[in-house]
This record gives sequence, C-alpha cells and structure tokens, in this order.
Amino acid sequence: MSTAPRILPKGVAEADFDTALGRFREILDADSVLTESDQLAPYTKIMMAGDDADYIPSGALLPTTAEQVQEIARTCNEFKVPIWTISTGKNLGYGSAAPGETGQVILDLHRMNRIINVNPDVCTALIEPGVTYQQLYDYIQEKGYKLWLDPPAPSAIAGPVGNTLDRGVGYTPYGEHFMFQCGMEVVLANGEMVRTGMGGIENSSSWQVFKWGYGPYIDGLFTQSNYGIVTKMGLWLMPEPPAYRPFLIQYQDPEDIEEIVEVLRPLRISQIIPNAVVIVHTLWDAGTHVVRKDYYDGTDSIPREAIERIKRDEGIGEWNVYAALYGTPEQIEVNWNIVEQAFSKSGKAKIMYGEEAEKRGGGFEYRSALMKGDMNLQEFGLYNWRGGGGSMWFAPVSQAKGSETKDQTALAQQILGKYGFDYVAEYIVGWRDMHHVIDLLYNRQDPDETQRAYDCFAELIDEFAKRGYGLYRTNTEFMEQVAGTFGEPLRNVHTALKNALDPNGILSPGKSGIRQ
Amino acid sequence: MKLTRRQLLKNGLLLGSSIPFSMSAAWAGQTGSTEVPQHGQINLYGTADSTTELGLGLRQKGWAPRYEGRLDPLMLSALPGGTLAAGFTDEAGLVLLTSLLVGRGRILALGRHTGGVHHLMSQRGPLVEPLAVEAGSWQAALGREYARLALTSTTGRHAQQFHRPTETPLNTSELSFLVRL
Repeated sequence: MSTAPRILPKGVAEADFDTALGRFREILDADSVLTESDQLAPYTKIMMAGDDADYIPSGALLPTTAEQVQEIARTCNEFKVPIWTISTGKNLGYGSAAPGETGQVILDLHRMNRIINVNPDVCTALIEPGVTYQQLYDYIQEKGYKLWLDPPAPSAIAGPVGNTLDRGVGYTPYGEHFMFQCGMEVVLANGEMVRTGMGGIENSSSWQVFKWGYGPYIDGLFTQSNYGIVTKMGLWLMPEPPAYRPFLIQYQDPEDIEEIVEVLRPLRISQIIPNAVVIVHTLWDAGTHVVRKDYYDGTDSIPREAIERIKRDEGIGEWNVYAALYGTPEQIEVNWNIVEQAFSKSGKAKIMYGEEAEKRGGGFEYRSALMKGDMNLQEFGLYNWRGGGGSMWFAPVSQAKGSETKDQTALAQQILGKYGFDYVAEYIVGWRDMHHVIDLLYNRQDPDETQRAYDCFAELIDEFAKRGYGLYRTNTEFMEQVAGTFGEPLRNVHTALKNALDPNGILSPGKSGIRQ
Repeated sequence: MKLTRRQLLKNGLLLGSSIPFSMSAAWAGQTGSTEVPQHGQINLYGTADSTTELGLGLRQKGWAPRYEGRLDPLMLSALPGGTLAAGFTDEAGLVLLTSLLVGRGRILALGRHTGGVHHLMSQRGPLVEPLAVEAGSWQAALGREYARLALTSTTGRHAQQFHRPTETPLNTSELSFLVRL
C-alpha cells in the first residue's frame, strides 16, 4: 500500500509554488490550473521503462492564447518554476503527456486549437498547437478544399504542430513533416514573442510560403528543443492528385530486405515513388490486429516457427512494402510500369494493388488510408501484441542502402533476442534515408521484464552508435543517453543556446538532453 | 451469456438506450437491485461477463449503470462534462483512454487484474479491503469499491495490490477504469 505526498517543482519552495499557482490562476482561470491528483493522473501515464515516480507533474496549465503563454513564461522565470510543454499530449511511446521529470508543471496547449488560416490556392495552413489532425481534416472537408494532410499512424488525436516539432513523419509525399513546415510564432523564455521566416514583416503575405526569411534560419532551433514555446506554426498541404494508386509488395525471405532497399532507393530519389514508403516486418504487420499469445506464450523472443505460422495464417510477407503512386492516371500508368519492372527482376516479389492487395492479410486497408492522408487508429493494436503496457520506440536512421538495412536488422534482432523481446519493426523510406522504427513492446507490470527492456534499449542505443547509427528521436527516459552519442561539441552548442535563450532553465529542462 | 459486441448487435441491444436482457436479468436477480438508484448514472463499458458483474456492484451501491458496449474512447469526447464512466478495456483502449483524458477529465481509479492479482491505483485516497475478502465475484466487489470512490471527495494517489483466488485463467488480463469527464 502506498500514498503519495504533494509533488513540488525541483528547487522551488512550497510557499513560492503556491504564490506562482495563484499568479497562474489570475492569468488563466481557476479551471485551467490543474493541481488535483485525479486531474493530473492522465499526464502520468507512461509506457517507457522508467519509474512512474519520476514522471509526475506538480500541476498543469491550460492556456488558450499566446498572450497567456507569455505571462506564464514571465511568472515561471520569476519563481524559477520549470514547465514541460505539450501540444496535444499524444507523443505516445516517446513520453506521452508526462513531464520530463517529476515536479515540472505541464504547459498543456491543447486548448489553443484555432485553425487561423487554410489557403487552398497556395495549399498552406496556419494553426495553433492544440489543433488535431482530425480537426484540420474536418475543417478541410467542410470547406470542400481538395487538400490532403500527412498524419502519422496513431493520427486522428495527435496534432501537426507537436508531431512536426518532434520531427515526426507520415506516409504521403509530404511525409518528412519538418520539411513541409513554414513559419512559426514562438514565445521565448523571457515572455517575448518572435515570428520566424517572413513572419517578422508586418502584414506579410508570404509567412507560410517562404521558409527562409532573412538572416539565419532559426525554425529548426525550436524542434526537439527547449528554446521556446511554439504558439503558431505554418505548414504546407498536399493538393489532392487526380489519381492515386496504393500498392503492396511482399517478400517472404528475411534476407530480402537488402534487395528491397536497393530497388527502392533509385525510385524514391527520382520521385517515381514519391511518398514515405514503409517496409513492414511480419510482426508489425500482424501485431496491429493479432495477439502474440495466440501464437506463442513464452517470455523469450517469438521463435521463427511462430513467425512462419503468422505469415501463413495472415497471408503476409516477411517484409511488406506499402507505397503509392500519385498524379494523373497517365502518369500513374507510366510509373507503375517502371515500378513493376524494377521489382520483378529477381522474381522474389509479389506485387499487388486494388482488390488483390485488399484480399491479402496485413495492413493494406489502413496503410492505403494513411498514404492519402486519411486517419485511423489501427496501430494502437500493437499495444495488445504482448500486453502489459510497455512500449518504447527505438528509431535509428540509416542510409537507404541495402547493406546498412541488413546490418541494422541483424543487430536489432540480435540485441532484442538477447533480452527476450520481439522484432516488431518497420522501415520508413525517406528520399535518401531510412527511419528504422522498432517498437520495443514489453510487460511493464513485470519489474524484471521492465528492467530487461531498459537494459535492452540502452544497449541498442550504444551498439547502434558504435556502428555509426544515431537515433532521430527518442523517449524522455533515454534523451540524455542519446544526446551523448552525438558528441560533446554539439552538446556544448546546445547548452550555449540554452543559456542564452533560457538562462533560468524554465523551459522543458532535459528535453533532448539539453539543460543549462 | 457472453456479451460480445456481435451478440449485442444481433439482438439489437447495442449502445445506450437499453441494457442487454442478460445483463438486466443478472442485475435484477441481486439484492438491492430493485432500489431506486440514489447517486445517478455511470456509463458502463466492456463486452465480457466482467462488465455485467462490475455493473452489478455499482448498482448494489446505488448507482445506475448505463451499458454502452465496447469502449470507444473517441466517443467519450462527445459526452457532457461530469459524466462518470467505468468498465473494462484492453491495453490499446487504456492508452487511448488515458491520453484522451489529458487536460479533459479525471482518472479516479485504474485496475489491472491478472490471474488473481489485482493492482489498483486510486486517485481518491485509500482503497478498502472488500475486494480481497468479499463473497461473490471480484468484479462485483470491484464495482462496489468503484461506487464508493465515485462518491468520495478525498484526493491523493494511492496504490494497492490485492490477492484473491483466481476465477479466471492465469494468463488472462483485464483492465478496469473509473473516470470522470
């Protein structure tokens, strides 16, 4: 039995914190300052292999305007209250809505959810951090605009601002989200507001169309960082093409990953296949709708024999490539012939689209939706694969080269196998890079298994780094370790920027390993 | 009768307006069920027998459970503020439920029930013992405890683990919740 005492921000006296809370209630209203444990409980749900006690906020603030955010920042500076900013709080598996460390006050921007502008001519949007993909989608449908979004997989409830700021990816040709971001409004730690790009020009009409502005380009400083609070963000939207053809290519041999990537790379770089293609392993493709214990009840890694049974039963491959063609029907026919020829050479690929692909098992239906910017929650099913509520995304980057993919797959499987976990993974193919996304699923209710998951994740980070592979993103438990793999010179620059922009260290301390 | 979604659809009993016959029969046959509910309505979610029993426990303590079928957390946002909801879900449902409550609702209690071991986390102060010792099903005892927590104004995180001889297979895991929107 345990009952928890009151949580306070680190280094802040109880009386000062109470005074700060009083100030927050003046800036907002009493209902927008949460301090009761049942209100804060949703912010404490984590899936990482960390201690629950390390991720409990002391409060949560729910502003509705950028001006309120400015006042909050000034108050936090005065009382040295650390805040952890979330947009919609759906960074699931990367820390979710929990603070970076116990005692931080959550700055929850989900009520700042205005769609300020969608321009159907230049295909842009300007939105606040609380806007969800579903909300923006509904708005576009309501207006009858022929524009597509690019949601990540568990998408309807997440938002473009939060996902872009964490440099997330989607599955259409606009899949690299930060690449399609244009212009920000940012509240700095001292409460001042700055607009990036062309936003500094009063009444500029090009804030959402010209990324670079004048002088140093600084938008990147506000991604995966703690240098400011983004209160508005512009993004580019994809015009709906006249025709769209999603397709599926299945390969049955584990070794085939090398061939897949070698065939795909020139097609991606030349934009024959323009979207963020995924190469999905059996266990991910099945794991969205199949439960592990139906095939194997051991606590070690699922054996090859069970994987083969899943492939047979579900009609899925060892590797399942989901991609799409976009354009006019004539363009699609031309490109389809190129794709078919390229993948047919070795005779190993099974290439499908339309009804044939729909009849195969796996995720063709929901993947087809994602690649045209429609939303679904199918991948939440992965949380049922092993059960127990543990999930951590291990996401190293590689070149889009078959040899590197083969190397990464083997290394990941070897380390996961050592600790008794399954290789539930996909590759997201960028223009020249690959995001190797592995969901380390484990039973968080079992302390031994949780410790193994922690050790496994830590070893994955180190061993991948030794071979030259870094992570593109990680969860709050491992941000410090991952930052370390990128070297001291870069960390020193990050720290210098932090000290310059946030000398009291009030903004999301520890984000990406960055502190004063 | 197992209350699967398919069975409910087949019998035209899904969602909201009425509870399935089997559930109402189970509830009506129990002591106290004829009393007029004293405390108001709790939306009840889940698709297995556990849900029936949970509803029974709530009903025994003066609540009026309203059966809503399988939990679709996205639908919760359409409910009025202050609505109480309880039930059972799976891991995916729990992740979705808790993330949707961020800044929008309160988690009063969560339970994880695996092979006779019950991990309960209350945000409404200490839990009491009946789950471990009361006669009848553990789900009904849980319903009575959730009924009490729904009424208490005490706050504070409190975690407790109960052991109770298993009535379900050891590898079966159920996740319960009590939340207020």
